[in-house]
Amino acid sequence: MTTYTPRMNELNGQGETAVRETDILQTAETLRWQIGQNFHEQLMEDIYTEAARIADRAVTRAGEKPRFDMDRTIDHIVTSRVWGFPLMVLLFTVVFWLTISGANVPSGWLSYIFLDTLHPLLKEGATAIGMPWWLSGLLIDGMYLATAWVVSVMLPPMAIFFPLFTLLEDFGYLPRVAFNLDNIFRKSGAHGKQALSMMMGFGCNAAGVVATRVIDSPRERLIAIITNNFALCNGRWPTQILIASLFIGGLVPAYLAGFVSAMAVVGIAVLGVFLSFAVSWGLSRSILKGEVSTFSLELPPYRPPRIWQTIYTSVIDRTMIVLWRAITFALPAGAVIWLSANVMIGGVSIAEHLINLLNPLGLLIGLNGVILVAYIVAIPANEIVIPTVLMLTVLVTGATGVGAGAGVMFEMDGSAVRHLLDAGGWTLLTAVNLMLFSLIHNPCSTTIYTIYKETGSKKWTLIATMLPVVMGFIVTFLVAQVWRLLAG
Amino acid sequence: MTTHSAADCATCPAHHAGNLLKLGVDMSDSDYVVALAGNPNVGKSTVFNALTGLRQHTGNWPGKTVARAEGGFSYADKRYKIVDLPGTYSLLSTSKDEEIARDFILFGRPDVTIIVVDATRLERNLNLVLQVMEITDRAVIALNLIDEAKRHGLQVDERRLARDLGVPVVPMAARQGEGIPELLQAVHEVANGLAVCKPHRVKSESTAVQRALQQLVQQLTAVYPTLPNARWVALRLLDGDQRIAEAVRSGEIGALSAPENDQNADLLIPLEVAA
Amino acid sequence: MPDPLLSLIIAGFLAGLGAALFWPQRGLIPNWQKTRQLTNRVLGEDAIKHIHKCDMDGRRPTVESIAGALHISTNEAATLLDSLQTQNLLFMSKGEIHLTPAGRDTAMHIIRAHRLWERYLAEETGYAEADWHGQAEHFEHHLTPTQLTALEAQLNYPTHDPHGDPIPTATGELVEHGGQPLTTLPVDKPGQIVHLEDEPEVVYAQLVAEGLHIGMPIRVTEITPQRVRFWANGDEHVLAPIVAGNISVLPLPETTPIVPDSSDSLANLHPGETAEVLSISPACRGAERRRFLDLGILPGTRIIAEMRSPSGDPTAYIIRGATIALRRTQAEYIKIKRVQHAAS
Repeated sequence: MTTYTPRMNELNGQGETAVRETDILQTAETLRWQIGQNFHEQLMEDIYTEAARIADRAVTRAGEKPRFDMDRTIDHIVTSRVWGFPLMVLLFTVVFWLTISGANVPSGWLSYIFLDTLHPLLKEGATAIGMPWWLSGLLIDGMYLATAWVVSVMLPPMAIFFPLFTLLEDFGYLPRVAFNLDNIFRKSGAHGKQALSMMMGFGCNAAGVVATRVIDSPRERLIAIITNNFALCNGRWPTQILIASLFIGGLVPAYLAGFVSAMAVVGIAVLGVFLSFAVSWGLSRSILKGEVSTFSLELPPYRPPRIWQTIYTSVIDRTMIVLWRAITFALPAGAVIWLSANVMIGGVSIAEHLINLLNPLGLLIGLNGVILVAYIVAIPANEIVIPTVLMLTVLVTGATGVGAGAGVMFEMDGSAVRHLLDAGGWTLLTAVNLMLFSLIHNPCSTTIYTIYKETGSKKWTLIATMLPVVMGFIVTFLVAQVWRLLAG
Repeated sequence: MTTHSAADCATCPAHHAGNLLKLGVDMSDSDYVVALAGNPNVGKSTVFNALTGLRQHTGNWPGKTVARAEGGFSYADKRYKIVDLPGTYSLLSTSKDEEIARDFILFGRPDVTIIVVDATRLERNLNLVLQVMEITDRAVIALNLIDEAKRHGLQVDERRLARDLGVPVVPMAARQGEGIPELLQAVHEVANGLAVCKPHRVKSESTAVQRALQQLVQQLTAVYPTLPNARWVALRLLDGDQRIAEAVRSGEIGALSAPENDQNADLLIPLEVAA
Repeated sequence: MPDPLLSLIIAGFLAGLGAALFWPQRGLIPNWQKTRQLTNRVLGEDAIKHIHKCDMDGRRPTVESIAGALHISTNEAATLLDSLQTQNLLFMSKGEIHLTPAGRDTAMHIIRAHRLWERYLAEETGYAEADWHGQAEHFEHHLTPTQLTALEAQLNYPTHDPHGDPIPTATGELVEHGGQPLTTLPVDKPGQIVHLEDEPEVVYAQLVAEGLHIGMPIRVTEITPQRVRFWANGDEHVLAPIVAGNISVLPLPETTPIVPDSSDSLANLHPGETAEVLSISPACRGAERRRFLDLGILPGTRIIAEMRSPSGDPTAYIIRGATIALRRTQAEYIKIKRVQHAAS
């Protein structure tokens, strides 16, 4: 027996379905005109009313407690007019002091192991197995040395700074800092949470850029990303300290030298903070004017941090990721540095060709060709700028008895460096401008890459990279001219 | 002959492996997929870590987890994949985070959605709970920070809450590991259809809206008879949500209404053979 | 080494030159671009827009009115009309200018582009309200129908522009707001602002400066030939009748609950005080408004001011159990009623 079974498809055939779909949209469109513009609000109101009703039925309060006493007490201290700011300054001074002083020792160990012990061993081993000089130079003096340098200078401060910072974050203190400082940031068109990404930037700009994620407003987040460069990162502290103690500390009697050079470095860091505000202000009134801006800052309840887990995760999450990115950039950079000093064109190395090419520009802005070349090849990590400068200066001046050969980065103690740099034609102006340039110039390649990852935009990455470069040139140029005018 | 429809087959996975793959979740080595939703700063990442044993950093910052995290666990011989969605206050406002969370729950059709809730701020958190439950039937409430609530003199009647919401509620203190076994059991029961959820739906106060909704829902169910969340789709259309309008236009919404195996094919092939 | 003074002078000169060339709006290059964009097509479209507007308002478009609206000479306007006629966008009959169906389509497209773009600027960018109209005047000539469809979808199919004007659909349908000028609203009858005319710009700027927005409840207390006095969203305003006439309102039924007149906003709440939300100002829109709603700031919500930042600005409020800091400018959007005793 045959029974007719209508197929589902025939009941609402394909063509008919298509019509109906657009019908639905049509109906929705008409209805939207009828229910009016504030439908969304009504919806939210309905949901919240319902939520309140259900919550009311489920929750019973033992007493009348508008907010939890403990949290309240802490909040009223850390945001008080009297104690708020001093407490904040104290906490961050402690964090930075622990980082800088605490990092010296392990940095010394690492550099003893990687640079003083392992490097000569590797060279010997290479000679023993008959590796050609250019290969061992490229691999060991170039790639290995640059990477080892970055690791030994970068790892210890980060491994101290990030866990400390993370502990403050877990406790819930950081949103209060944003709360305290927001007014200043608001006036420059930024978000209070930028205070945090800036602090993080003092540890590492790449981590600072990642930290801008907590800013939920697109415009303010871009401002925070672009200006993070002006937070003087760990990688640039050594340069500042060395140059300040050699040139600026040298201006005053020995018993004041330490203090004056320390003040000079702090002055540079403060100038960086000031530039961050100034650039934020400028950006929010020019290219970022049209971006959306919203503000909301939740002050979460305090929670006791779990110390071991925090240290573990912050080392894994932040330190290792940043370190890994730095290593991937340092390896090729080491190769480039070595090659540029050893590949000869017409009897002269590429590095020297470049230095001669850039020297006029360098001198015009109160620096020199060596410094500019060092900054070009050292884009991957600010840590290797000084060793590269020293190596290149030896290369150019032909100084004998210092250094470890063309393309091999090295460090030595203060007075010898001063002699070498004097021979390279350095003046006080060069030193001051180098400090300024080191503060302002472009972020390192790790940071640039991170900016690209975070913004997903070539345009903003380019702006974040080029704006500081241009500013760096303008500032050093102006300083140099005014300096020379005044000096006669 | 077996007929598969959402109601009949409470035991078979609800998710669509194809859709999930599009959303970046590979289901080849798991039986069920679980989504983890919640407001910012309610201990969502802590719950995620407790379930998976992973150590994702859980900062005391609202809006910490920006990228989506994924992990897995096994319970009662089943393998679960768990996806940590960005913490949001709402699913209606089309910020990037909210879109990610919303799309995953709607198009990924997770077998269970765990909504982590801060017991000390229940009212605020229920806003998100009610919104999630408009989209999916299969939800479990993880009533977290119950220890904090007790310390502050708050008593939360979880049975009352479960009855009002129509889904299982598990009180827990994830930082101390309390309530994790119970949460696993609840997830297991919902995923395997041992517990049936009847989620509470919000009624609109305005009659104009009610009428508009009714009309749209009628049309939607006429075209997609088994669409599980027609009311919600209608709400989104009235709110002018372009992602949903696009899904209706392209018929993507239709894919949500049909269970994994093509209903029509199952229903008709035997009849044709008989004929 | 170049002479420092000379280098400074050269640098200063270069900077000056760069500024003269590229300065936004006033530099040579932006200026040159502007004149280049003022092509015949743009002029033609502006003319069609003007004619359409006259039709809508029941006025008669003339060569003179077109010349006036477009800031060109009468001769140029006449040439323009000729070329539009050959393009079959308009026709003359009995000395009157009329749009052809094609001309009306063009007008609809321009209006749609203009209003969608304003909506886009209002919802998805941070441009100030006073900038919207000027930018839309420019972009309305540069958006294709495909781009408009995409923009419309991106904006979740808006029905109105931020001034309350309806946005024509892609098929050219247009629903008017149906409001009446504020000057015709009887004294003490409740109404709601449905439209603020954005031309002429001077008058519109005055309305914006008064803080008036679409959706605000309004009640007139006095109408004289010299001034119109009214309450809108809790604030009292006094405007010249000619300015007030640019506000369109819809009368509300007497039974609608009206937001009580109160000019108290959350920004005035001192730490320790409690208040109940009456409304969020219609001036707060887009992402910011939605964020407020998400945070649970709705009429009836109880808010306690908890503490003020030591630097004076953001204030932390307890909103539905969470402590949330809002800036003064945001808190001003939230109209409140004070509550004496903090009830549980």
